[in-house]
Amino acid sequence: MATPELPRVAVRKRGLSGSSWEPWLYLLPGLLIFTLFVVVPVLGTVAISFANWNGIAWSTAAFTGVDNYITAVTDSLFWGAFWNNLVLIPYFVILPAILGLIPATVVHQMGVRGAAAFRAGLFLPYIMPGVLIGVVWRWLLNPVFGPVNAVLERLGLPTPSWLGDFTLALPAVGMIGAWAAYGFCFVIFLAGMQKIQPDLYEAARLDGANPFQEFTAVTLPGLRREIAVVLSVNLINALRAFDVIRATTDGGPGRETEVVALYMIDTAFGAKQVGYGASIAVLLAVTTLVLSLLVLRLFGERDG
Amino acid sequence: MVKRAPVYLLLILGVVVAIAPFVVTVLASLKTTVELVQGVFSLPETPQWENYRTAWTDGNMDRFFVNSVIVAVGVVVPSILLSAMTGYAFARFRFRGSNLLFGFFLLGLVVPLQAMVIPLFYLMRSLHLLDSLWALILPQIGLSLSFGTLLMRQAFLTVPREIVEASIVDGASSWNTLWRILFPLSRPMVGTLALMFFIWTWNEFLLPLVVNIDPNYHTLPVGLLYFQQRWTSDIPVIAAGSTIIFLPLTVIFLLFQRQLIRGITAGAVKG
Repeated sequence: MATPELPRVAVRKRGLSGSSWEPWLYLLPGLLIFTLFVVVPVLGTVAISFANWNGIAWSTAAFTGVDNYITAVTDSLFWGAFWNNLVLIPYFVILPAILGLIPATVVHQMGVRGAAAFRAGLFLPYIMPGVLIGVVWRWLLNPVFGPVNAVLERLGLPTPSWLGDFTLALPAVGMIGAWAAYGFCFVIFLAGMQKIQPDLYEAARLDGANPFQEFTAVTLPGLRREIAVVLSVNLINALRAFDVIRATTDGGPGRETEVVALYMIDTAFGAKQVGYGASIAVLLAVTTLVLSLLVLRLFGERDG
Repeated sequence: MVKRAPVYLLLILGVVVAIAPFVVTVLASLKTTVELVQGVFSLPETPQWENYRTAWTDGNMDRFFVNSVIVAVGVVVPSILLSAMTGYAFARFRFRGSNLLFGFFLLGLVVPLQAMVIPLFYLMRSLHLLDSLWALILPQIGLSLSFGTLLMRQAFLTVPREIVEASIVDGASSWNTLWRILFPLSRPMVGTLALMFFIWTWNEFLLPLVVNIDPNYHTLPVGLLYFQQRWTSDIPVIAAGSTIIFLPLTVIFLLFQRQLIRGITAGAVKG
């Protein structure tokens, strides 16, 4: 869609007599706040990551070059936390994408009444604060008085202690993440499918395609953009996971659900190794950026 | 119709799984602990409003709620106005370095809060703003401006050029063109942005966790975390506290579902 542009005022052409400062008046307040509270802190993180600092007085900071990064690479706690983030990826990224794709396909191919109501209901968890989701699920999964185990017990099934169990805690946190995201995936996928030209389906049907072939030959290729968006957003959430985990397990039991963001905050503010914490923050940001760009490149439109 | 029955069943199952945790939380918030053990899906015999009183006053949810509202308003209103101005600067003027500067603003879309929260703590400390609502408001305005600038510029560019030209011919200043013509015409985008900013601010957890230790300056999410630690096994009170957080969100969601989903779909690029 072509967007008609506003008549732009070509400030440069007007020369000095014109008001070349005019756009700057509009930019100034926003630019000041953005620079001071976003750009300076980002640069600050990078700067601090090259120093050893206890966070008390600036004079105690010492430049140590890439020492913090070397520490990170050889720190088994950091790698343990990073590994847990990777384990969360199937739960946070792939599972909700599949759980969203199936109903979206069905709704799109068969058509249902009240699609808006279903959409609203499915979407609700996605706008809720992570802490709230964590607090609610911590109760639901409570081994003693949680409703999930009450139901399992009535069915004669085992009633593990979910978030307190060394092998189940991380998958349980992962399932909470999948639960929070599948409605978002459904909404994005359905919106994408509705943009696919209907005559593509007619053409496929004329060629004798069954519904499954329609799905693989028309729907999936038409959804490249949406798949890229969903996977990269979910991936970012998996790598940055913090709120839900802080409210459910806080990294426990042991370090079974410790993730990089938790380790970063505990290092910088708990252990007062501010420089080392900052280097973990940089590694986290760079990893997130690189992996999400990779996903966008892999699944995004070929023409870019 | 019969053929579609499984489709509806699938969708209903999806919706039930999505909203059941919230429904049982509301029910739990109105029960006694004994009633809760008897069954989560049953209705309370008599609604136990005391749970809310306990959460509200003993649990300090009243203060957290007021703080959350102040921070939300303090972030959303200035962010909208400043985004309109920066978006206008990029939509209307072409000036030296405008593309570069626009890219500079968009940087905020790719950098997570985790990559700035450590220096933010020390920045706030040197500004003597730790343990204040300013420590929450100022950075979140900054963070909103990336997305705001992008979307307001887009909205202004879609206003038909004749309208703007007519206003210029009428001798309107660029300031009046922005606030009397473009801004009102972009009301749908302003509404979507306001909703997004509100939800981001209402839900923000990491920033208040780090910069405000004093419970007097907690917002609801951080408040709920400490609240949960204090009332560990008193589920009805925790459920009441949780309901206080998600009920306003749910009401806003149901009222503005359409704009909100459009915004989040657009905002999906903002990771």
